[in-house]
Amino acid sequence: MSATTAQPAAEVRPPRRAGLLRRLLRDPGAAVALVFAVLIVLAAVFAPLLAPTDPYDNDLSLAMQPPGSPGLPLGADSQGRDMITRLLYGLRVSLLMGVAAVAFGGSIGALLGFLAAFYQRWLDGPIMRLMDMMLSFPAILVGLAIAAIFGPGIFSVVLALSIATVPLMARIARSSALVVMRLDYIEAARATGMTDFRLIWRHLAPNCLSAIFVFGTLRFGQVILLGSALSFLGLGAQPPTPELGAMASEGRNFLFFAPHIAVIPCVVIFAIVLAFNVLGDALRDALDPRLRV
Amino acid sequence: MSAAEILTAPERAGHEGASPLLEVEDLAKHWPVRRGLILARQVGTVRAVDGVSFHLRRGETLALVGESGCGKSTTARLVLRLIEPSRGALRFDGEDITALSGASLRRMRRRMQIIFQDPYASLNPRLTVGEAIAEPMLVHGIGDAASRAARVRELLGLVGLASFHAERYPHEFSGGQRQRIGIARALSVQPELIVCDEPVSALDVSIQAQVVNLLKDLQARFGLAYLFIAHDLAVVKHMADRVAVMYLGRIVEIADKRALFADPRHPYTRALLSAIPHPDPARRGRVKPLGGDVPSPMNPPPGCRFHTRCPHAAAICREREPPAVEVAPGHRSACHFARELPPAGLDFSGGLTPAAARRLALFASAGRPAAASV
Repeated sequence: MSATTAQPAAEVRPPRRAGLLRRLLRDPGAAVALVFAVLIVLAAVFAPLLAPTDPYDNDLSLAMQPPGSPGLPLGADSQGRDMITRLLYGLRVSLLMGVAAVAFGGSIGALLGFLAAFYQRWLDGPIMRLMDMMLSFPAILVGLAIAAIFGPGIFSVVLALSIATVPLMARIARSSALVVMRLDYIEAARATGMTDFRLIWRHLAPNCLSAIFVFGTLRFGQVILLGSALSFLGLGAQPPTPELGAMASEGRNFLFFAPHIAVIPCVVIFAIVLAFNVLGDALRDALDPRLRV
Repeated sequence: MSAAEILTAPERAGHEGASPLLEVEDLAKHWPVRRGLILARQVGTVRAVDGVSFHLRRGETLALVGESGCGKSTTARLVLRLIEPSRGALRFDGEDITALSGASLRRMRRRMQIIFQDPYASLNPRLTVGEAIAEPMLVHGIGDAASRAARVRELLGLVGLASFHAERYPHEFSGGQRQRIGIARALSVQPELIVCDEPVSALDVSIQAQVVNLLKDLQARFGLAYLFIAHDLAVVKHMADRVAVMYLGRIVEIADKRALFADPRHPYTRALLSAIPHPDPARRGRVKPLGGDVPSPMNPPPGCRFHTRCPHAAAICREREPPAVEVAPGHRSACHFARELPPAGLDFSGGLTPAAARRLALFASAGRPAAASV
């Protein structure tokens, strides 16, 4: 009866699987988004080298010059500052705020969500009621409170946006963890006698990643917009610090005479949000071993 | 060769004298049923398992059979301490494990493992097969990375897979292969007891035979004890040494496999056995299928739980709960009429003429190597 155990499998090795990057680039939309995102990040990092002028250099004689004016391909803002320079420096602030808030608030939120789902009996009620309380405060209100405590500035914005992200991420993480918790492999993991920490880290969290990734990228766009709103209210980036949202709201006053001042930062925000959404979606697919070819 | 065939009668008797590996006493799991959104009131109790006692010896297979919802799987999870019992005691190798917790419970888990019904849900899709099989060893601090990798290769060979399969992910395998990966994972820490929760019911019939034979093979090689949950009596007949029949959270009959199939002493066991299809047209009309449904475990009937569907029910059955009586050594039945029941009247040889039976046996023995090498 040993025939059953000694069943020889064909000794044909499969070709090496493509790496993460190659899988990601297989989707043309994702490739475009990735290239754009990398360019955006590089532009933000190397802004001082790329910018033709100083971001605080103003020349009122050039105020509201339209795009295509000599020496000003994207025109100038109401203070006569080069839009290209302002955009490059604005990217730095906006991206930094978005990344910091999503990473910080998102990881705390995800952890709380996992704990609520894993220790459902004891922690689910307390954690999720706390999250509901946090959800009931609008992000703007949180921003106001924090600005009142720490003073307006980028740190306050990041803190406020993180706090606003925690309960949302906790809900996403909890609901996808609850689904995973019911699967047999979680029970199998528990039956091997591993610690709860290992169970959560190795078995629960990785299988909830796709929902977290997608929400994280969506949230990244929202956070950039929210950060701009806070800047507009005078709680975030203080003028003359360039910031995409602040630039857009500044240009709002000149929408009829010089629409480019508001429109260009908005188009950049739109493009960033779109690129990161497409990228997050493609990344989720590329990270999922079930979809590997 | 399977364990049952290797062991001669005196050896088996010796086994029976040894202290049991697992003892279960009056085990129960009652789930509260709550209503209400904020102030949840308890409106009832589901008695999923309600006072189950049995023991399991080393190297033995005890099958737990019964309809869906009778508490088989709950019993399995109670035995493994994956859910907390409401009542009762569990002893493993003489040690009381009912109240173990923390590190001592985790250490105990090394000695008992589980194989699941659904091979698609029982493997973490994010871990390679090698990682999945090595993980129990890693968790229990067995060996170093190199020795674990060697052991993974050995285990893969043992269950009929190739060593390069270790680098692959579960989704690249078929249901039968995944089930064998699950078996390799369970074996990696050299457990003494494996709870098999319907390990073949989700597989194609041709693959079922492979997995069942593999399980028997491994039992003979490593002296494993199986608690084998099933509802397919044909598989049970092939696998088990002893069989416990469950109905509505209770064991109604427990006996040696041969005794149970030859002379069932509980009407429910008889109903289950008569439901096995037989290739015998003459049996048609002689078998009465069981009518009605299983009563709700939230509100089990008074007296004998089976009296609502029992063809032999009398007044006493509605009033008093039947105790488990020993009708023969090792053969207990919880029926008031366990001793008086008329002969089963069912021919479990299949009602074949002797010549036809011989032909079928020949066919089976010729077919086996072919089936095994699929």
